[in-house]
Amino acid sequence: MPHDETSGFRPHDVTMPQLGMAQDAGKIVSWLKSPGDAVSRGDALFEVETDKAVMEVESPADGFLTGVSYGEGEDVPVGQVIARISDSAEDDGAPAPEPAATGKASDALPEGHTVTMPQLGMAQDTGLLVNWLKAPGDEVAADDILFEVETDKSTMEVEAGRKGFLAATLAEAGEEVPVGDPVAIISDARPEAPVARSAKDGGAPPAPAAPVPAGKDTTEAPAKPAAAAPAPKAPSARGGRILASPKARRLALEQGLDLNRLAEAGHPQPFHVADLEVLRTMPSPAPASAPSETPRRLTATCAVDGLSAFVPWAAETQGLAPDAILAGLAGASLGADGSVTVVVERLGLTRSFSVPPGRSLSAVAETDDAPALIVRDLRGTPISTVALGSEQTPVLTVTDAAAGLVITLECAASALDATAAIRLLTEFAGRMEQPLRHLL
Amino acid sequence: MAKAKTNTEDYLRMYRQMVRIRTFEDNANQLYLSAKMPGLTHMYSGEEAVAVGICEALTDDDRITSTHRGHGHCVAKGAEFREMFCELLGKEEGYCRGKGGSMHIADQSHGNLGANAIVGGSMGIATGSALRAKLQGKDDVTVCFFGDGATAQGLWYEVMNMAALWNLPVIYACENNGYSEYTKTEEIAAGSIMARAEAFGIESHQVDGQDVMAVNDLTRKLVDRARKGEGPFFMELMTYRYHGHHVGDINREYYRSKDEEKDWKENKDPIIRFRAWLVSEGIATEEEIEAMNAEIEKDATEAVAYAEKAPYPPANEVDMHVYAD
Amino acid sequence: MREITLSQAVNEALAEEMRRDETVFILGEDVAEAGTPFKVLSGLVEEFGTDRVLDTPISEPGFVGIAVGAAMTGARPVVDLMFGDFIYLVMDQLCNQAAKQHYMSGGKLTVPMVLRTNLGATRRSAAQHSQSLQALVAHIPGLKVALPSSAYEAKGLMKTAIRDNNPVVIFEDKLMYQDKAPVPEEEYLIPFGVANVKREGRDITLIATSSMVQVAEKAAAMLEKEGIDAEVIDPRTIVPLDEATLLDSVKKTSRAIVIDEGHQSYGVTAEIAARLNEKAFYHLDAPVLRMGAMDVPVPFSPALEDLTVPTPEAVVENARKLCAGELIHAA
Repeated sequence: MPHDETSGFRPHDVTMPQLGMAQDAGKIVSWLKSPGDAVSRGDALFEVETDKAVMEVESPADGFLTGVSYGEGEDVPVGQVIARISDSAEDDGAPAPEPAATGKASDALPEGHTVTMPQLGMAQDTGLLVNWLKAPGDEVAADDILFEVETDKSTMEVEAGRKGFLAATLAEAGEEVPVGDPVAIISDARPEAPVARSAKDGGAPPAPAAPVPAGKDTTEAPAKPAAAAPAPKAPSARGGRILASPKARRLALEQGLDLNRLAEAGHPQPFHVADLEVLRTMPSPAPASAPSETPRRLTATCAVDGLSAFVPWAAETQGLAPDAILAGLAGASLGADGSVTVVVERLGLTRSFSVPPGRSLSAVAETDDAPALIVRDLRGTPISTVALGSEQTPVLTVTDAAAGLVITLECAASALDATAAIRLLTEFAGRMEQPLRHLL
Repeated sequence: MAKAKTNTEDYLRMYRQMVRIRTFEDNANQLYLSAKMPGLTHMYSGEEAVAVGICEALTDDDRITSTHRGHGHCVAKGAEFREMFCELLGKEEGYCRGKGGSMHIADQSHGNLGANAIVGGSMGIATGSALRAKLQGKDDVTVCFFGDGATAQGLWYEVMNMAALWNLPVIYACENNGYSEYTKTEEIAAGSIMARAEAFGIESHQVDGQDVMAVNDLTRKLVDRARKGEGPFFMELMTYRYHGHHVGDINREYYRSKDEEKDWKENKDPIIRFRAWLVSEGIATEEEIEAMNAEIEKDATEAVAYAEKAPYPPANEVDMHVYAD
Repeated sequence: MREITLSQAVNEALAEEMRRDETVFILGEDVAEAGTPFKVLSGLVEEFGTDRVLDTPISEPGFVGIAVGAAMTGARPVVDLMFGDFIYLVMDQLCNQAAKQHYMSGGKLTVPMVLRTNLGATRRSAAQHSQSLQALVAHIPGLKVALPSSAYEAKGLMKTAIRDNNPVVIFEDKLMYQDKAPVPEEEYLIPFGVANVKREGRDITLIATSSMVQVAEKAAAMLEKEGIDAEVIDPRTIVPLDEATLLDSVKKTSRAIVIDEGHQSYGVTAEIAARLNEKAFYHLDAPVLRMGAMDVPVPFSPALEDLTVPTPEAVVENARKLCAGELIHAA
């Protein structure tokens, strides 16, 4: 049943996250939860494949997984809603209403190609739909006439334009439809529930406000630009160059004011010191979201703590200390060309290791150098989840999970880019689960 | 007799000074032609009797103003070779610390108010010096050297006028060497040069500039009278320059004949003449004269060598002395 | 304090210095009994005699040359050049001889002389008796140039000039000889290279020389009514120039107009404006303006002559524009 927006519980959308700089879609590799499952915030819901690694996507909230709309193997555009976390398992799974949507149940329309009211004549901006020649559900050929429209000269026949099925009609005979508005939907597949609507219902989500329908003549002359108040025939910036007095420039520089904003606002040039006052009172621009500045936090799960079994064997056969092994696995996961210094914090002790390139754990040696990576081993502690914030150096925190481990990678955006962070965590998690893989 | 002995010294000194000038100029000429001396320079060779005859009649308190052809005046008024060569080469130890050069060489300690690169440029200065002497009740005399070409400068007439009006102790000495750069004097000076001065009521004399004794005699008399306030006076000294207007200028045959030069050099040379007189009067022997010449030659050679090695003024002097403290 | 005319102030300065130092003497045309046509020197010959106040023939190059020679040999002449326009006649003696003797002699010869002359138009004296030529001589290394703007400056600067061991050219504004100003009875000297801030202000600096100081002061009074607070500075000497005071002012106000009665182009205003530009560039909120006399020979007709010199109204208009950030010229 549809959600009651007044209940105070908002369903959380689960969307395809931004995966890497150039990636704009991700393939769902596997669902880790099923629709209707109870999930906790932070639970891994599904795995997504990027072109570098497989990444887990976590639940943003406690609740029940509902509205799963993409399956395994499907490519989903970044930002696309994939599922929802609702307060009950029986949610019908309709994706949360888009904030900009007007008109009710607009998302009930079948998929297909939209047919719009065509441009009829120079001065005409609506057309009277006289009658339909096809009914919803009918199969149509590209040159079949769909409907007739009356212009001020005559009655015009409008073709389907493509082969398929008339899945929806969005205006009734006798209605005036604005030029460019959707009138019908032609789907490739036979529609299960063809729709017939009137234009008054709102039809498909209306075209976003403002732009004049294509082809329409704008008879209005463009508004005259407001005359600049003082007469100086100040030319605006030539070729991007801003004219300003030396003192104005210096003060702007010293005070962190951006003269470009004044220029963009159309303030008359050349700028003088007095103009900086205007600049100061201008609302500051929304800081450009710099995704790269948000600290990174990724988590991975290992089904088993492979390391705990590996360590005794390694100590017995190779004489390796547990912390050195941990450092070696972590260092190797960075994938650097040269030696890497890894600090291991465990049980209140901190030890620093130099991990040479290559997989030889026995070559890991203690060092005093500053670390490139920190591993916090919290296994055996009651801590299950960490969100400690990013520090100067990337930190891999290992915590016990109900079964296996959760490994959390936290770092500043500038320390590792998304790809490197994903790779590091993937590699390390893989090694922690199956240390023997590291040796291969 | 004491007087004759004093005269002997005077004569010998006059001779020596003339030889010093000639020697200096020969060396300067060589320096210039061998590209060791920068700028421009103008040879006094041939006119020695004029500078020496006059300057020997003056004291260190008396002033002279000189011209672009000023080495002769400078030596005659008591300058030393070393500082002169240094100045000509732009060295720090020059009389003007290298800042004046040949055309502006000045030696204040001996009353030389300086050579001047502007033709006639020092006529006002000389007259002003005389005015100062009169105003301050001093009895020094100022001699203004200039060439026949400078008689074309308006300034001369202005200052002669004032000198005459105010009875200034200045002697205008025109070294008429027959040429104004490359043009014969009679082509640039209308009428009579003497008459110009006479027109202002200035007593004027003409004298053979190649006869050092005649020049000296005349000068003594005029200087004496000028000290008493009887000035100004004018002297026209007929002389000849052996070299061109300046060293390295055009071929002189364009404007005068080799014969003419030969005539002056062989028959009217002031040094040869005076030497002959000294010998004939028993004042000096040829050997003594030769010895003197050799010594002067040696002095000059040493001074040139010294000047060549001497340092230039340091760079930070470039903007010193623009203003006096 | 007593008030005396500029003419009297100059007269006093000369008399005092001539009493103090007997090597000081005056020469020029009509300086003795006539006391010059401007009557500035009246009475001096009576006190000091014709030996020290010398009438010369009309021989400007001649008597300036004589002054140079006298100065080089121990006297301190003050030459009266009747009109500043005649400075062209004496350029060789002034600029080739006087200005350079100290330098050419490696510091051994000095020329402690003063050339007293004048400037200023609007007297209907036409093109050859109305010029303000201070830029010509300011350009020559070795000369100093003083521009008194009132009786007070005239006396103080003249005394300093006479005691200076360099050739100094002093330009008096011939229009101001009868203008009075407070002048102390006690002796005072005005040093060269020290500007006088005549009026403090925050909004714009008006730098003016000689005859233009009054113009700037009048403009400042008018601007005050419009709410513009102008600072007025009189440099007093342009060689040496008190840059520091001018720069401090411009850094405070961030705007400047330089006003001089020489011609607009290639003059004193250009030099000062250039220095302000070089050394206070990042403090300028407006271009530094020059205001000089029009680039025309001074016309005779009263209807035309007055158009050629900067006026308080013109200064006000420019100051207003600069303060409003209006473009005076193409950006």
